[in-house]
Amino acid sequence: MVDFVGKDILRVDAFDKALGSILYGPDQNIEGALWLLAKRSPYPHARILSIDTSQAETIDGVVRIFTAADIPGENSFGIIPVTKDQTLLAKDKVRYIGDAVALVAAYDLKSAKEAVDKIKVNYEELPAIYDPEESLKKGRILIHEKGNLLCSSRIIKGDIEKGFSNADIIIEREYRTSRLEHLSLEPEGGIGYFEDGRIVIIASTQNPHYDRDDVARLLGLSPDKVRVIQCGTGGGFGGKLDISVQGFIGLAVYHLKRAVRMVYSREESFLTTAKRHPLIMRYKTGAKKDGKLTAVKVDIIGDTGAYASYGLAVIMRATVHATGPYEVENVYVDGKMAYTNLPWCGAMRGFGVPQIAFAHESQMDILAHELNIDPIDIRLINAFKKGSVTATGQRLDHSVGIKESLYKIKEIRDKYSWSKKKGERLGTYIGVGVGSMWYGIGNTGVPNPSTAQVELLPDGSAILYTGAAEIGQGSDTILLQIASQRLGIAIDRIKLVRGDTLYTTNAGATSASRQTYISGNAVMDSIDHLEDILKAEASEQMDLPSSELIVKDGKIFSIKDSSKSIDIFELVKICNKNKVRVIGEGRFDPPTIKLDPETGQGVPYATYAFASQVSRVEVDTFTGFIKVLNSASAHDVGKAINPKMVKGQITSGVAMGIGMALMEEFVPNKTKSLKDYYIPTSMDMPEIIPIIVEDKEPTGPFGAKGVGEPALIPTAPAIINGIYDAVGVRITHLPANLERVIGELLKKEGA
Amino acid sequence: MKDITISFTLNGKPITIDFPPTMSLLKLLREKLGLLGTKEGCGIGECGACTVLVNGKAVNSCMMLAAQVEGKEVLTIEGLGTKENPDPLQISFVENGAIQCGFCTPGMILSAKALLDKNPNPKREEIKKAIEGNLCRCTGYTAIIEAIEAASRKK
Ligand code: FES
Ligand code: FES
Repeated sequence: MVDFVGKDILRVDAFDKALGSILYGPDQNIEGALWLLAKRSPYPHARILSIDTSQAETIDGVVRIFTAADIPGENSFGIIPVTKDQTLLAKDKVRYIGDAVALVAAYDLKSAKEAVDKIKVNYEELPAIYDPEESLKKGRILIHEKGNLLCSSRIIKGDIEKGFSNADIIIEREYRTSRLEHLSLEPEGGIGYFEDGRIVIIASTQNPHYDRDDVARLLGLSPDKVRVIQCGTGGGFGGKLDISVQGFIGLAVYHLKRAVRMVYSREESFLTTAKRHPLIMRYKTGAKKDGKLTAVKVDIIGDTGAYASYGLAVIMRATVHATGPYEVENVYVDGKMAYTNLPWCGAMRGFGVPQIAFAHESQMDILAHELNIDPIDIRLINAFKKGSVTATGQRLDHSVGIKESLYKIKEIRDKYSWSKKKGERLGTYIGVGVGSMWYGIGNTGVPNPSTAQVELLPDGSAILYTGAAEIGQGSDTILLQIASQRLGIAIDRIKLVRGDTLYTTNAGATSASRQTYISGNAVMDSIDHLEDILKAEASEQMDLPSSELIVKDGKIFSIKDSSKSIDIFELVKICNKNKVRVIGEGRFDPPTIKLDPETGQGVPYATYAFASQVSRVEVDTFTGFIKVLNSASAHDVGKAINPKMVKGQITSGVAMGIGMALMEEFVPNKTKSLKDYYIPTSMDMPEIIPIIVEDKEPTGPFGAKGVGEPALIPTAPAIINGIYDAVGVRITHLPANLERVIGELLKKEGA
Repeated sequence: MKDITISFTLNGKPITIDFPPTMSLLKLLREKLGLLGTKEGCGIGECGACTVLVNGKAVNSCMMLAAQVEGKEVLTIEGLGTKENPDPLQISFVENGAIQCGFCTPGMILSAKALLDKNPNPKREEIKKAIEGNLCRCTGYTAIIEAIEAASRKK
């Protein structure tokens, strides 16, 4: 009996990565490939009057310069089909500093740079808008013709006014978060060439099939004329969901029919790829004296910058998750996403939930202090349980591990006697903070299927075909573990074919923590089909009806007479001889119900992950420096397919959460390189205790849900609440950097 | 500008090569010598992805002129271990879950190697310090620190 699920199988790609032999986007090269470089707008908002490339074209080494006029298809792209508003090369107008206006193809990068400098663009500057609330005011200049409101989202449950009139206490606060950069260590890069009548693009990506479709659309080609191959991808975190180099590479190969390469410098990556949406969140929370929530009203305004990208998904997710993982009878949430002339925002690990969790968990913490209830207890009083109904009217029947996660962190906090006290050095204070979260797996209330195939070969091995991008999170290993367990074949006997649009089918994006649950299920389904195919063949060979056959331990048996059996690989040989490939095709689309546009009622996700975290922080009141000392995070993942990798995701999320809480802030026009953007280093890391809670999800593969984004979400709130516990100041604008902490401490002293 | 010629030891073998005097060691390794295991994450000395060992010391190869390695010994990830004969650190990184996307890994392993060669039994704090200049956006460092500890125990 093979046992691969629930085991700490070593990552299948780790050894090659340790040897340094995996090729990432910037490593791709073909002898003679031309370099591509984009000319970008220096203005945040301007009309393009003319573009003159004549001088640039005379530079030795320049092969061709492209402008919007060279785009044969639709010059608009974007990951959400209804909001494709971004131009590959701007035509009439630029909307942020960094918008591409022309593309140079040259023999070497030096000539390409020279040419970019020599391209003359005549602009007429337009007033720029930097504030999302400003942007929505009447009479403001339009960033996009359809208006400055990208989208809105609303959730209404119960009677909000009644909820507040029943409350003993009402807490009203405003919270703000900053623009963040994903900062995958690998900058965007790739290569393209023309082969067999197709444009082939090899690039680092989270989403090869989407890349293929949007590149084809830009070029006016049918998708089968474009082939995208995912190469080694050095982190994504949402930043490699939108196309970057892929569009430019596609355009150049379309015209030149020769190999080209493009690699973003770190500066270009900072300037021109997606960011995390800053949100303004105004909360009004009502509760009874005993801590029970009676009403939550939230007003959210997001800044999507110049383009839509995932803005719609972020605002929907933020509104859906606005209550936190708590039962609230009366809810009113209104979210709006506005355009500005700042760098555009897209998906980043958690799609709006890390922001909203900072706000709802700060509210819970304030309530706990005001009502003098233990912060973990107040969460336990309100936490979802089986049978709870969410703000969108969804009844949670299975796999609701939030309470369990709270019990687990309470155990740790009490066992180590983590509590508020004076630090060892003068002026330092230690505090303990709690954060909880819930996170819907997969996309919000829309179909987001995955597909996969599994094939058996006569030598006793198998092939798993998947379009699911491996970006470092580990889906290659997880999907192989699932396939191996379900097939009963050792993991090293299964070959993986992944992320090549010619040989694999669409698995949807590696985002929304969806690949274990959704693609894992697609793999399970493909093996169900594979067994049907085997049974059909066996039924002929054994002269028994299919319904009398079962598959067990690599053989097909008759239910009635277990002495009658046939080895499945014998069947494969017979099929192959008859030119039949034994290949099962699988698909899974999580069952959801679209949210009502007026009330937000519906079933946005088939299942949710839950988590709680307790963090112990030290505040230096002289410098404002915060050090996270210890952290324990308990995550309900349904079932950990690979516990070690789940723990790896948890420590990963804590690190990114520390960055979000304490140091990361992308300041447009100021943040240009790694010198102006800090992420946590090894010195910033606390001792972390990762805890796995397994409340199995009946619709998940072996009970699994997901953990990639949840890992990050409770961190910032736990730290911020810890700061309050230590020194009594509440940071409502992230990050809690030195200036903000000192500023708040001074305010408190003054008061 | 005229090319210059220098000789140095690369991954245990002597080499002599011509290149423009302004070329960085990183560019020499990646573009002229095709050693792609050394990564570029920033090009300005802030991320450590380009770490190689020069005379046993971990350096950011993006910040060094290639000319500066004249007569020295340079070790890149390709020279540290092979499929058949990996370095104990490479095994330890794999076994301890210290690798996710892997982009920081070559630089991280070389920084760890420089540490262990000098200090075979480092304390946790010393390990953290030794890899402070190597950013990792994926792992949260915990598993990396454990992998280095485990490798040091095996030495
Ligand atoms: S590439 Fe050299 S330090 Fe970042
Ligand atoms: S493993 Fe991805 S940056 Fe370290």
